[in-house]
Amino acid sequence: MIREKVKVGIPGIDNMLEGGLIPGRPYVVSGASGTGKTSVAIKFLLEGASAGEHVLYVAIDEPPNEVKSNMRSFGWDVSRVHVFDATSDILSYDKTPVRDVSTERKVVLFSSVPSNIRKTSEKGPADITINTIQEILKQEMKVRKYSRVVVDSVTSLRRFYIRTSEEYMALQSFFRLLSDLDITTLLTVQLPDTPRPDAESHMARGEIRLHKWLDGRGLVRGVTVEKFRGSYHDHSMRPLRITDEGPSVKLAAPRRRGEPRREEAEEPEPAIEPEAKAQAPAESQPPEPPPPDDAGGGAP
Amino acid sequence: MTAIPQMRVSTGIEGVDTMLRGGLIPGRPYVVEGPFGSGKTTFCIQFLQQGVRQGERALFVAIDEPPSELRENVRFLGWDVGKIRILDVHPAAKAYSKRVSLVEVAAQRAVGSLREARADAKTESMKQMSPDLTPQSLQLMLKQELQEVRYSRVVIDSLTSLKRLSASEGEDIDSGILSLLRFLSEANLTSLFVTDVPDPASLEPEMFLSRGVIRFHKFMVSSRTERFISVEKFRGSAHDTQPRPLRITKSGIQVDAEKKVGKSVLKMFDAVPAEFR
Repeated sequence: MIREKVKVGIPGIDNMLEGGLIPGRPYVVSGASGTGKTSVAIKFLLEGASAGEHVLYVAIDEPPNEVKSNMRSFGWDVSRVHVFDATSDILSYDKTPVRDVSTERKVVLFSSVPSNIRKTSEKGPADITINTIQEILKQEMKVRKYSRVVVDSVTSLRRFYIRTSEEYMALQSFFRLLSDLDITTLLTVQLPDTPRPDAESHMARGEIRLHKWLDGRGLVRGVTVEKFRGSYHDHSMRPLRITDEGPSVKLAAPRRRGEPRREEAEEPEPAIEPEAKAQAPAESQPPEPPPPDDAGGGAP
Repeated sequence: MTAIPQMRVSTGIEGVDTMLRGGLIPGRPYVVEGPFGSGKTTFCIQFLQQGVRQGERALFVAIDEPPSELRENVRFLGWDVGKIRILDVHPAAKAYSKRVSLVEVAAQRAVGSLREARADAKTESMKQMSPDLTPQSLQLMLKQELQEVRYSRVVIDSLTSLKRLSASEGEDIDSGILSLLRFLSEANLTSLFVTDVPDPASLEPEMFLSRGVIRFHKFMVSSRTERFISVEKFRGSAHDTQPRPLRITKSGIQVDAEKKVGKSVLKMFDAVPAEFR
C-alpha cells in the first residue's frame, strides 16, 4: 500500500503526477540552464515547510545568499528552510592543507544566511566530496527528521565532488542512502540543450523534465513527466510559465486510468510539442507516445 | 516587479537593460555567448565603458585578441576607451624555452590601460617566454591585480579560448572554472564570460554555474546579415522572453526592446545551431 503522496506544491505538476510524488523516494528535476529547476525545487521545500515539516536545501551550484535573494523576487519567504552550504571554496593553488568541511560548515536556517557570499577561509579551502555530503545528511537526520531534501545540483556534485573512478558506484550509494533515510528528495540535473539520458535519470524513481526553446512565440517553456515508478502519470508536455509569483503549470484535467473524464473538469491546455528537434530520450522505461487526444478521449 | 528593489548593474545598452528589467545583478558571473561577428566583444566593451563612466574600475582580460588590435577596433567605432584597464594574456607563439613556473606567471603579465596598448604589443610579447594560460594561472593573475585595484566589472574574452589553451596542460579545467567563478563572486565583481556557441550536446560548467546567459544570434535574412539578442537565463529576476533585433552602429550596439521579431524570422531561432544539426 502506498502512503499518501507528497505534493510538489505546483498544482499543475502535482496534477501531472496524479497527486504528487511517492514519499521516501529520490526524484530528478532535469532541464537545461534557465528552465526553472531551482524554483521548482524550492517550491517543493516551501510546500513542506508550510505544513510544519523539516526541510533541507543542499546548495552546491549557487551560494545560499543568492538563492535567498532570488526567491525573494517571487515573494517567497525561505527563512524556515534549512540550508547546507556545499558550494565550493576558491581553490588555493599553493600548498595550503585542505580541511574537512564538516568541522567548518553547519546546517543553518535560511533566515540566518547573510546577504553576502561566504568567503573562503583564510586558512585555506575546505574539501567537499560526495562522502562528506552523505555524512552530513546522516548526522543531520539524527538531529531532526527531515521529510524533504533538495540537492541542487547533483550534476555539480557528480562533476566536482566525486573523486573516485567508481563514479557510478558513488552515485548509486548516494541514491541508496536517500531512500534508506526515508526522505522524499528532489535532485536537480543540468541537461545540455540536446539532452541525453544520464545515470541519475536511471537511478531516480521518477523524473520531471523542464524544457525551453525559442520558436514563433519567443521563449517557451514546458514540463513533462519522463518517468514515475509506481504511479500513473501524464504523458503530455504541459506549458510551464515562470511569472513574478514563481513557476506555474496550467492544470490538466485530473484523471485516473479507466475513469471517464469528469464533466466539470477544466478543459486541459492542449499538449505542446517543441517545434525544434524533440529528440526522444532513450529511457529505461519506454515513454508512451502522447495520445493525440490526451485527456481520456475514449471516454463518452 | 520585484518584491524588494534590487541594485542593478547597467550594461550600458538601454535596450538590453530593459530586457534585463534594469540590468544585471551585481557581484555575479554571467555568460555572453554567440557566433563570431555577432557583437559579443563590442557588447562587453560597452559594459566596461558604462562602468568607467560611472566612476568604477573596469578590467578587460584579453585572450583572443592582442590589446593593440582591440584598441584599433574600438577606435574604429569612435569610442574613447582609455580608462578601461586591460590584462593582456593573449598567448604569444609558444616559446621553446623552459616552462615558467606558475608563481612567476603573475609577475610577467602587466595590466595596462587600453590607451597605452602599443601597436607593437604583439612582437613585444613574443620575446617573452610564454607561460601557460589556464583558469588556475588566470585566477592567480587576477588575485594579484585585485590587490592593487578595486575593480567592479570584469570581462574574460574568451572563456572558449581559455579552455582550449588549457586543454593541453592536463589540468582539471572544470574545477578551475568553478574556482575562478567563485573567486570573482567573492571579490564582488560583476563578470562577463564570452563563449562561442556551445555544442548543444555537451554540458559546459559555465552554462550551469553562471547566473545568467545572454545569447547573440546572427543569420541571413533575405540576403542580409541580421543580428538578434536574447536572454536565455537570468537568476533572481524576470526578463524579456523575446529575442530582440540588435544593430551595431557607429555609436555601438543598439537594441530595440520594444520591437518584435517577425514570425518568419522567429522560426529561424532554433535551440540547435546550424553547425551542430
